[in-house]
Amino acid sequence: MLLQFDRLGWWRWVLVGITGLTVVYLLMPILFIAALSFGASQWLIFPPPAWTTRWYGELFADPRWLESAWVSFVIACVVAVLSVVIGLAAAYGLVRGTFRGREALKAFFLTPMILPVVILAVALYALFLRVGLNGTTTGFVIAHLVVALPFAVLTITSALEGFDKAIEDAAILCGASPLEAVVRVTLPGIAHGLFSAAVFSFLASWDEVVLAIFMASPTLQTLPVKIWATLRQDLTPVIAAASTLLIGLTILLMLLVAVIRRGTRS
Amino acid sequence: MTEPYLEIDGIRREFGPVVAVEAVRLTIQRGEFMTFLGPSGSGKSTTLYILAGLDVPTAGDIRLEGRSLLSTPPQHRQIGMVFQRYTLFPHLTVAENVAFPLVVRRRPRAEIDAKVKAMLRLVRLEGFEDRKPAQMSGGQQQRVALARALVYDPPVLLMDEPLSALDKKLREEIQFEIRRIHQETGVTILYVTHDQEEALRLSDRIAVFSKGVIDQVGTGEELYAHPTTRFVAGFIGDSDFLTATVTAAEKGRADLKLGDDVIVRGVPIHGDPGRPGAKASLMLRPERIDVATAPSSAVDGDRAALPATVEDITFLGASIHLAARTAWGEAVAVRLPYGHPAAAGLARGQSIGLGFEPAAAHCFL
Amino acid sequence: MAGVTRQAAAIGGGTGLAPGRPRRLPAGPFALVVPGLLLLVVFFALPVLALLLRSVTEPEPGFANYAALIGSGTYLKIFFNTFLVSAVVTLVSLAIGFPVAWTLAILPQGVAAPIFGVLILSMWTNLLTRTYAWMVLLQRTGVINKSLIGLGLIDAPLPMVNNLTGVTIGMTYIMLPFVVLPLYGVIRRIDPAILQAAALCGASRFQALRLVLLPLVAPGMAAGALMVFVMSLGYFVTPALLGGTANMMLAELIAQFVQSLVNWGMGGAAALVLLVVTLALYALQLRLFGTAGLGGR
Repeated sequence: MLLQFDRLGWWRWVLVGITGLTVVYLLMPILFIAALSFGASQWLIFPPPAWTTRWYGELFADPRWLESAWVSFVIACVVAVLSVVIGLAAAYGLVRGTFRGREALKAFFLTPMILPVVILAVALYALFLRVGLNGTTTGFVIAHLVVALPFAVLTITSALEGFDKAIEDAAILCGASPLEAVVRVTLPGIAHGLFSAAVFSFLASWDEVVLAIFMASPTLQTLPVKIWATLRQDLTPVIAAASTLLIGLTILLMLLVAVIRRGTRS
Repeated sequence: MTEPYLEIDGIRREFGPVVAVEAVRLTIQRGEFMTFLGPSGSGKSTTLYILAGLDVPTAGDIRLEGRSLLSTPPQHRQIGMVFQRYTLFPHLTVAENVAFPLVVRRRPRAEIDAKVKAMLRLVRLEGFEDRKPAQMSGGQQQRVALARALVYDPPVLLMDEPLSALDKKLREEIQFEIRRIHQETGVTILYVTHDQEEALRLSDRIAVFSKGVIDQVGTGEELYAHPTTRFVAGFIGDSDFLTATVTAAEKGRADLKLGDDVIVRGVPIHGDPGRPGAKASLMLRPERIDVATAPSSAVDGDRAALPATVEDITFLGASIHLAARTAWGEAVAVRLPYGHPAAAGLARGQSIGLGFEPAAAHCFL
Repeated sequence: MAGVTRQAAAIGGGTGLAPGRPRRLPAGPFALVVPGLLLLVVFFALPVLALLLRSVTEPEPGFANYAALIGSGTYLKIFFNTFLVSAVVTLVSLAIGFPVAWTLAILPQGVAAPIFGVLILSMWTNLLTRTYAWMVLLQRTGVINKSLIGLGLIDAPLPMVNNLTGVTIGMTYIMLPFVVLPLYGVIRRIDPAILQAAALCGASRFQALRLVLLPLVAPGMAAGALMVFVMSLGYFVTPALLGGTANMMLAELIAQFVQSLVNWGMGGAAALVLLVVTLALYALQLRLFGTAGLGGR
């Protein structure tokens, strides 16, 4: 009844109405930013008086935009790799280990995810000021790794839990050493989990604003820091251009994930 | 007596305070099909996992041709195993799955190809080489698992309830296949199941597990005809149990009193009754009970008879099931073959006599 | 073959070799956890503890920072703002999220899939991008004010940025997927036959909703609500950009203490307040719903 669309009577039109409005709410900012990035109005007036690619030109003319994007990309890649490697080791230990305090440790690994980032940012800022890591790539990587690691641990843990240990046992009985069994059988078996962990870790780092604001220096800043700093001055359409490119990247990433998911399923 | 091939010598396994396996001893001959039969939690799977090397005994030893296996890690034991769940490597094709043991042994390509081909022929899955496990039925997956476990010519093949996830029809089909493969390869098989019919269908011998020990080992027929414990009697085949009092016992035979006044003489007894008057149970097989339409407690020749009434009659095609109750109120199930003359005139509430041969019954203490 | 092996179980003599305690099987050892653990202890647990410690040591030992935090109307207003915005965001997210999740659960897959796409796209889009978009849309000359005036609903532009309205709209936008996705999972797991049974028992649609569907969804709603509330409490970026300096929230206050005022003691104290409230709410959630609500599964 209530869970069968065609048996809901007029209720279904209420539900469809709310959902439709929500879709508009969710899409509106994305669509308007994309449209306004091509608008000629300096003040982002809609509808724009004319269309232009001027803001994209300004974006690419300013080396600081590209530079900060490159910094973001490099940091996010390093973070994704480290996060998956450390996260895989930790998840394997947590899932297959038999030591005491395993549950508590698992909870500890997830805490950076639930704690307000601003607390971590301020705390790390204090530490990095003292040890001279502020404004360094290493500092960025460490800070982003702390927020990315819980995503990797969570994703890989659930992939490992979903992977029957008997398959690993079967590989060992087939003559594979325990390490060989993990490399040849378990890792390919949880490949989708490792891939998701890498994507989530990359995104966690790539999108990270709060930590980055504290870690940044005038000479080293990530793309979110550059956007933040620009935003604080004015709402220039250059940001709309940058945002539109970021949205495009997000869509590409979503498609990539969908394609790979489909590939691993068949 | 032939030289023992595989010896399980006093295996014990404790999980904290729980004793899962307690002093299991068994020898298995080369080429034998041995089944571990028992309810869940009886220690049969744990024993199998210890043989595989996936679990370690608290005490005891296992020997293959006189050599202890305990210090050999599982990957070097060369033992094949088929698991309860489908354990095919999901990212590999059928051919790659079967080839896996040879690949990790670094065998030459040509040998691998030839053996994989031969194995897939053995399990009748030619043409499935390039399928992924997810594209196959459960029965097919278990056949691939069987091929993978046999491809490196293991001396012993362990099977842990491999068919329990399959439906009945498919299960019977694969049981037949397993028997054929056992005959073709001559591999020694240790097979775990909780399904007595499956055990009877497949095995040369059956070891009945109960509460961490082996109650009895023997062929299916031996276990059925001569159970030595009440558990085995109840677990293999259908059985009726009646409470009895031992009035005399000598040389493994006992005289029993049932109800107030029925005396049955010369029943094989298992266990020491001590002095007369001990409580015991009399076990009868439902299909070995005869029905006389005249109630009688008289002992006619060497046959015993119990007075009873009919409570229900169920027609089941090949047989007719009779639910009867003895004069002193105990329920007895009787199975008569279709067409049995006594079945024709029976009605509910009718008084009957249940006849049986004391020598074919068993008394357990 | 069967005939040859017909024999009773041979009983081996002696007690056999006793290998002693079971050896540990090759399992993931503790060592694998150590690198991650070290990272989180050195760069997470210890720095946070150090920060909290500074709240009672700087500028001098004592609880003066906390007294200042509680004693000031300015700070109390910030606390109030934070809780108010979080509560409103939570309620609105639930009020929109439940019907949307419900609709998604019963729509045919082909129709639901693109809506999911929109949800995921909005969730994965850069946070600053989303916030920037709302700053643009909500400004005095923005699309929303222009449309409302164009429709004749209002005469003068509504102020929707640099106040809590803007913060609430922007935050709800961010939190909505966190309500819809888990609730969708909860509703999908309910057997539609249960609702049919309710109808056969004579329940009207409204009664079935109130007596069957809502109670079944309630634990999921409560878990989602707690998560959104806690996340909102500690949110920094969106309030800072959409709320302006006059409508500060707690996370911003912490940042300001440290960055602009270089007052580590007060920063630590405000951080402790936020931390304690957050952890208390998570403890409540764990108590009520187990670990299932913590993002996993």
